[in-house]
Amino acid sequence: MLRRVPSSSSAPANRSFFQQAWLRFKRHPLARLGAAILLVFYLGALFADFLAPYPEEKSFRDFSFAAPTQIFWRDENGRLTRPYVCASERRRNPETFKVEVITDCEKGRYPIYFFTKGEPYHFLGLFPADLRLMGGPWLLEDKARLFLWGTDDFGRDIWGRIWFGARISLTIGIFAVALALLIGIFMGSISGYYAGRPVTFSIGLLNPRFWAFVRASRLLDHLLALLGLALIAALFWGMAQGYQLYIRPDLQRVSTLLLGMLGLGVGLVLFGLLLYSLVWRSHLVRALLWLLAWVGVAWLVWITVWGFLQSSRGLEAFLAGLLGAGLLGAIGYILLWPRIELDLDTLIMRSVEVLAAIPDLFLLIILSVLIPMEVPPAVRFVLVVTILSFVNWGGLARIIRSQVLQLREMEYAQAAQALGAGDARIVIRHVLPGTYTYLIVAVTLAIPGFILGESGLSFLGLGIQEPATSWGLMLSKAQATGITAFTERPWLLIPGVFIFMAVLAYNFMGDGLRDALDPRTKV
Amino acid sequence: MYAYIVRRLLQLIPTFFGATLLAFLVIQLAPGDFVTRLELDPTQDRESIANLRQQLGLDQPLPVQYAKWLSGILQGYLGLSLSYKTDVWNVIGPRILNSMVLVVLATLMIYLIAIPIGVYSAIYKYTWQDRLFTVLAFFGLAVPNFFFGLIMLFLAVWLYDLTDMRLLPIGGMTNEFLHLGNMTRAAQWFFPPALLGSLVFAALFWRRTRQKLAPTFGQWVGLVLFGVSALLLLFPLWQGPGLPERLPYTDAPLWARITNVLWHAFPVVIVVGTSGLAGLMRVMRGQMLDVLSQDYIRTARAKGLSERVVIYKHALRNAVIPFIAGIGGLLPGLIGGAGLVEVTMAWPGITPALLEAISAIDLYVIMGLITITTILLMIGNVISDLLLAWVDPRIRYS
Repeated sequence: MLRRVPSSSSAPANRSFFQQAWLRFKRHPLARLGAAILLVFYLGALFADFLAPYPEEKSFRDFSFAAPTQIFWRDENGRLTRPYVCASERRRNPETFKVEVITDCEKGRYPIYFFTKGEPYHFLGLFPADLRLMGGPWLLEDKARLFLWGTDDFGRDIWGRIWFGARISLTIGIFAVALALLIGIFMGSISGYYAGRPVTFSIGLLNPRFWAFVRASRLLDHLLALLGLALIAALFWGMAQGYQLYIRPDLQRVSTLLLGMLGLGVGLVLFGLLLYSLVWRSHLVRALLWLLAWVGVAWLVWITVWGFLQSSRGLEAFLAGLLGAGLLGAIGYILLWPRIELDLDTLIMRSVEVLAAIPDLFLLIILSVLIPMEVPPAVRFVLVVTILSFVNWGGLARIIRSQVLQLREMEYAQAAQALGAGDARIVIRHVLPGTYTYLIVAVTLAIPGFILGESGLSFLGLGIQEPATSWGLMLSKAQATGITAFTERPWLLIPGVFIFMAVLAYNFMGDGLRDALDPRTKV
Repeated sequence: MYAYIVRRLLQLIPTFFGATLLAFLVIQLAPGDFVTRLELDPTQDRESIANLRQQLGLDQPLPVQYAKWLSGILQGYLGLSLSYKTDVWNVIGPRILNSMVLVVLATLMIYLIAIPIGVYSAIYKYTWQDRLFTVLAFFGLAVPNFFFGLIMLFLAVWLYDLTDMRLLPIGGMTNEFLHLGNMTRAAQWFFPPALLGSLVFAALFWRRTRQKLAPTFGQWVGLVLFGVSALLLLFPLWQGPGLPERLPYTDAPLWARITNVLWHAFPVVIVVGTSGLAGLMRVMRGQMLDVLSQDYIRTARAKGLSERVVIYKHALRNAVIPFIAGIGGLLPGLIGGAGLVEVTMAWPGITPALLEAISAIDLYVIMGLITITTILLMIGNVISDLLLAWVDPRIRYS
């Protein structure tokens, strides 16, 4: 018997993994909600100039802590009209004897126009524009004011500043996660790939293996290493010169700052490449470098013990002298005889533990003191990002390490090794791609943590600072006025609601992604 | 096992040195030291400033300062507070105690609420109650705790305006004056119902044991809650009438001071514990669901055991294992999380002290605070590892 086979039944089998994941994600209602909220927020941040009736730093000294402007829908005869606001001024209320903002419709009614001409601004800092969502000629002429969600202590519009603050609050998480991910991938993959395979750090001078080690590389390698050292010195000199000449005089500009960071990044990558491809081949130069390192350690021990002995006496001094002599003796012995192996995995994982041993908040606080007070907002932003990612890369590094530990034992990784691929190639081309799905989820769930970290730091006054704004900084105004004035100005709590919603949305989306990217669930 | 414990403890030593060294370096990298501010003062001459710096040991090279501090730590001496001119321990000891009050109470709250709710959600999964708890857990995880603290303060002020009674404290840890009269009258009001409640629950408890059945969870909770409150209310009933209406905090009897601190701690603990509570609730639910789908649960049900026994004896005991061990992992979150809330709600704990010390560049106070919290954290982690190894026989000690 012939039977028609519905042609659609074979289609799902042909879907790729990511297509299936996308289908699963779309069917997750909370994830969709989260994604929608985030889309709105990011668009709002992008079009902040358009949404806000006033420029970011425009302040009305007379209207500090003004309540949200009342918007009227009915004219004096009670008929529905275009929404309008009334003239308002700050004076003493004759009934309560409090100085407050009083709205008086007799003095003028000003209709709100939408998609109208406002104060000029540069969209994305590039294109001149003056289209704003709300306003009217009266707003430009300052006859009446439009504060949708009230004002803060300097009399600045909170509705507008929410969207300007979103630019910082919502992007800081992404930048910090990207940086933390970069450090985490680098450290985690090294740690996982070299776990249980220690690297030779140094061999004693009198050890016969030292000479075998040094003779193992050719003369050409030594010459190339010398060239490499010279190139590295030139690179550093060039970087310092570039900083002095081009970056330092003009630090206030964001573009200069970006250029400087790009230069730093390229410089570091070049340094790594030179070190790896030229210097590391020559065993003689490596031996000299480790000798230098041990001598440096010995010098550090020496000045410590010497300074300590200068200012202490009795048993303490005796023990310190003993310890110092012991350490110096040990370094001398290391220089002469044994082969010291360095387990990169142990080293990196111990550093992660050290970072995790100090409570995150305290580490953030003491690191944020390092940021100089007098830096422009853009530099501050970058430094806050750096601090956040420095504190939090450990968790990502651990995740990546555990994944790499598993994946490096896979047949395809061993096949690549058998074909003669280098370590870097195996890790980057064969091992790391296996961790992507896992990383996407980990990163999505890490972003809200960074957002919270930034807002907490700014709330304490240690993160982003005036005149720039972020949601945490705006929320700190709620408390700055004292607790008793609290119930009179509840609109200062609005930024907190935004932090809450952003974090919630990221959590929803991370949850949905986790379900979607789990290969065990079927479409 | 003992080898494992010893190895685990030995591992702590390098971590401790690394953490303190890192903190020390970071603090010292910041521009200026404690004496820098005096340099701006025109009445101070250069010589006395240099003398002071030498006296405080701030002129020595960094490694030497660290070595001196370390040798002090090994002798149990945390150093000298530069701004208070006294032993650091006198400055930070009370602060750490205050924070510990919060952390201990929050941990208790988390465990007492998260486990029952998690079990309940797992048993009645996908009902509206379970969905409600899920949504609440998401909210609890997402709300920034300093914002939650602000809302709590807002609520307290609003309630005060509304009822003209201080139902919730408005920040701080103690009141300057304690209204003993109010406390005594409240105790006279609340004692009879508390006594009645504990008697009722004791009777239920007793009947249940007569029937040779284990008392239910609700009976335990009721008995403990009512019994403890009745016992605590005895103090004001007994001492209260003889005392004046109003006393300064320092002169008040111990029970009044403890009540006052607990009353202040109540909203703070709720704020501090929320995110941990939400997280653990979800973990408990997941664990319980995992265990309930195991074969031995089906076997237990097939044997004809009652659902109670299946859930409490077979499922819960296995599901709760990672939970007991998680107590150490909870500490860092609580200490850090309590930090911002302490600032918001004016609780005189570790974080406000740290911020004060940082603004004064009081080096050894900062170091002391970080060292003590680091030690507490490490101890917490070790305890949780050991508990895990002890509770779960499947874990190998290698």
